[in-house]
Amino acid sequence: MTIAAESAAQSALDVAILTGDWRNTNAEGGIARIVCSPQGDGTMRVRCFGRSGDDAMQDWGEVDAPLYSFTFESRQAGAFSAVFDLGYEEVRVQANVKAGVLVVASFNRFKDDSGRSNYFDREFFHRISKG
Amino acid sequence: MGEPQLSRRSVEHIPMAAPQPRIESEVMDGRWFKTNDKPQWIDHLVVDTVDEQTYVQIFGGASPSPADWGRVPVKWAFANASNTSSAKAGGFVVLYDFDDMAVEVQANFNLGLLVVATFVQFKQPGPLADRFTREFFFRA
Repeated sequence: MTIAAESAAQSALDVAILTGDWRNTNAEGGIARIVCSPQGDGTMRVRCFGRSGDDAMQDWGEVDAPLYSFTFESRQAGAFSAVFDLGYEEVRVQANVKAGVLVVASFNRFKDDSGRSNYFDREFFHRISKG
Repeated sequence: MGEPQLSRRSVEHIPMAAPQPRIESEVMDGRWFKTNDKPQWIDHLVVDTVDEQTYVQIFGGASPSPADWGRVPVKWAFANASNTSSAKAGGFVVLYDFDDMAVEVQANFNLGLLVVATFVQFKQPGPLADRFTREFFFRA
């Protein structure tokens, strides 16, 4: 292990409260599913699935997700952020766990010429497996 | 009957050229004070709009939050979630870059409250963990 990797591992946060397969509590929500996968080096990757018009899931792909604790002294991750570039749209996702619920705010910015307004949304997810 | 509402992300691309409506961010203008009596990461903030550009100035409340974060332009403004033809402000993102940390501020305007989340990332490893905060503010 390199010095940099060792340093990263030493400062890594415990991600257990975040990892797993999360489903939207609202069957009509814009984001249907979020999968949080721990990596061996203490980081985490997140895969999101949007909901398409025909109720099918649209895989947005998997991205690295910076982790955050709720206090500066904590070693327990409680939140993450992630940015998904869908080509026509960029989605900035912020998520934190509260009382076992993943509270997800999304800031959606359209990059096409469709005339759609950028918009904010907030949705709630329950965990169906810890992964 | 009102304007037809465009769908959200369920339609990936709409092949037409249309101006994106300007988000009316000025509805969030004002001095915003914390709802919590105890010291917290952000003590208060000021939102103002000049020539259709909205600015945010944050004042810290608890170390290592700087006393005055400075006044910065809103990076992106967002409408509320109800539909994508809305121009009513629902939130904004601003970015702060300090010597020792970078902070992304994501705020949303809801039921008269400004809900402000911050993502604090330290640039060098140290004793403090990267941190997420969410705090609530009312307008004076």
